[in-house]
Amino acid sequence: MKTTLAASALALMAGGAMAADEVRLQLQWVTQAQFAGYYVALENGYYDAADLDVTILPGGPDIAPPQVLAGGGADAMLNWMPSALAARERGLPVVNIAQPFKSSGLMLTCWKDTGITGPQDFKGRTIGVWFFGNEYPFLSWMSQEGIPTDGGEDGVTVLKQGFNVDPLLQRQADCISTMTYNEYWQVIDAGVSPDELVTFRYEEQGVATLEDGIYVLEENLEDPAFVDKMTRFVAASMEGWKWAEANPEEAAMIVLDYDQTGAQTEQHQLRMMGEVAKLTAGSNGALDPADYQRTVDTLLAGGSDPVITAAPEGAWTSVITDAALN
Amino acid sequence: MSWLIGALIFWALAWGANIWLANGRFRASLSVRIFVPVLFGITILVLWEGVVRAFEVSPVILPAPTQVAETFAASTDLLWQDFEQTVLKGALRGYVIGALAAFLTAVAIDRSAFLTRGLLPIGNFVAALPIVGIAPILVSWFGFDWQSKAAVVVVMVFFPILVNAVQGLRETDAQARDLMRTYAAGYTQSLIKLRLPAALPFVFNGLKIAATLALIGAIVAEYFGSPTRGMGFRISTGVGSLSIDLVWAEIAVAAMAGSALYGAIALIEKRVTFWHPSQRT
Repeated sequence: MKTTLAASALALMAGGAMAADEVRLQLQWVTQAQFAGYYVALENGYYDAADLDVTILPGGPDIAPPQVLAGGGADAMLNWMPSALAARERGLPVVNIAQPFKSSGLMLTCWKDTGITGPQDFKGRTIGVWFFGNEYPFLSWMSQEGIPTDGGEDGVTVLKQGFNVDPLLQRQADCISTMTYNEYWQVIDAGVSPDELVTFRYEEQGVATLEDGIYVLEENLEDPAFVDKMTRFVAASMEGWKWAEANPEEAAMIVLDYDQTGAQTEQHQLRMMGEVAKLTAGSNGALDPADYQRTVDTLLAGGSDPVITAAPEGAWTSVITDAALN
Repeated sequence: MSWLIGALIFWALAWGANIWLANGRFRASLSVRIFVPVLFGITILVLWEGVVRAFEVSPVILPAPTQVAETFAASTDLLWQDFEQTVLKGALRGYVIGALAAFLTAVAIDRSAFLTRGLLPIGNFVAALPIVGIAPILVSWFGFDWQSKAAVVVVMVFFPILVNAVQGLRETDAQARDLMRTYAAGYTQSLIKLRLPAALPFVFNGLKIAATLALIGAIVAEYFGSPTRGMGFRISTGVGSLSIDLVWAEIAVAAMAGSALYGAIALIEKRVTFWHPSQRT
């Protein structure tokens, strides 16, 4: 008996020593094709090959990834840069270590019959905006256009939009926030023809901010073991992303397999994967300093209500992508 | 660590003082009765401050009370605007409408056995509706502004007041009712002179329960779409933007508003139902 115990204890210790490094990744939203690269890397064994034991934590409307990171609930999080930089200025030093999304999928979708043709037509209108850190791009856009956001004739009335498209469909709002890969298609699925809509992509308005980067806590980057772990994680994740781009249909099916809520539909995920692939295209995971600068400039140009008050220092690092991609 | 030790020492001293006061000669005096719970509350704040400082808890997880107080003082304009939107517009209007509707329904139910069988189960049904389910629906019916919040409050406060009022109206004993009959009092007379006064303790009970429900309803309803002001809006978005100190300031306002509303109703009750055994001292 004693020997068996000792033997199993030994086996456990050996197992412990050889176990893969754990990584917990906090997503920004529920399981969907927006995060396909990570699920593909998990499913295709890229993480295993990198000796990583990755747990993907789905988010939701009431989960703030920076808070999870601060509380030690995750090793890395996905976040939009405006939200991450705001968190950084509030005393939570998060650092961007990789940027798999090259382009922004954020846009405003308006009814065409409102006669809106450009941002200046937003005056006097009601616009649905997501909060939870997602309002920053909108606020800085409006302040660049010189449009106040506290209602009235010359301003816009801002509605806190839930994560659905009802306000537009019920015409409680003239425009709402949509993502190219998600809510826009919910409007279409509700029976609205694309001809009835007019959309404004933040990308085309010059106020696009970086979305869906990988962020970690600054203090963890002082630990070489953590840096090594993240280097392998980013390399494997990017491998997953490139595979997902090349195989959108299979990637969507992998995402569906991992959706434990069963809320996602095949048609929706296939379409989402197709749109998401357009956003990740052109990024090898390394952050382009020019994109970063555009994001910071957009956020600093916040007028009376700036998102961040000073240009952040050390908010991103190329250490990990330099090592991961070479 | 000195912060933690200091907080613990304060805790021990305050505890001792409270035990001494609560068992002391003046324990029945008003000042002691107020001082003891206040000291208890202060102790909790001191412990909180000590723990947060000693363990250097990140302010995005739990800010210290002094930090919350600073934020509170610095953003009174914002807090007032949110208070106005949520409490004065949403909660109170919904509360008054809901209470009046429930009270009138109770009188109607009391009048007719038919309605007792028909309306009470419906009231019961309404009370069983989950608020997170109906709030988004009411938001889409009544719009994003305070009207939909008031509607949620109406739904929430209706049932507790209704049940209490119906029960209260049945509270008179047979002798008292017989007496009214021998006076040749009609339905309205016996309702106003006898049964409504007898129902008051019950009605106030319902009103007190509903007072805190109203506030919760108005705040939760703002989670499902709101203009960019209001306590629920600020609490739900404050977490996302990591301004947890502001969230705590809003929570403090909500707690104070709820206590004040409850206290006001309790005070009115004391004046109006002075004859009831529960109010005699």
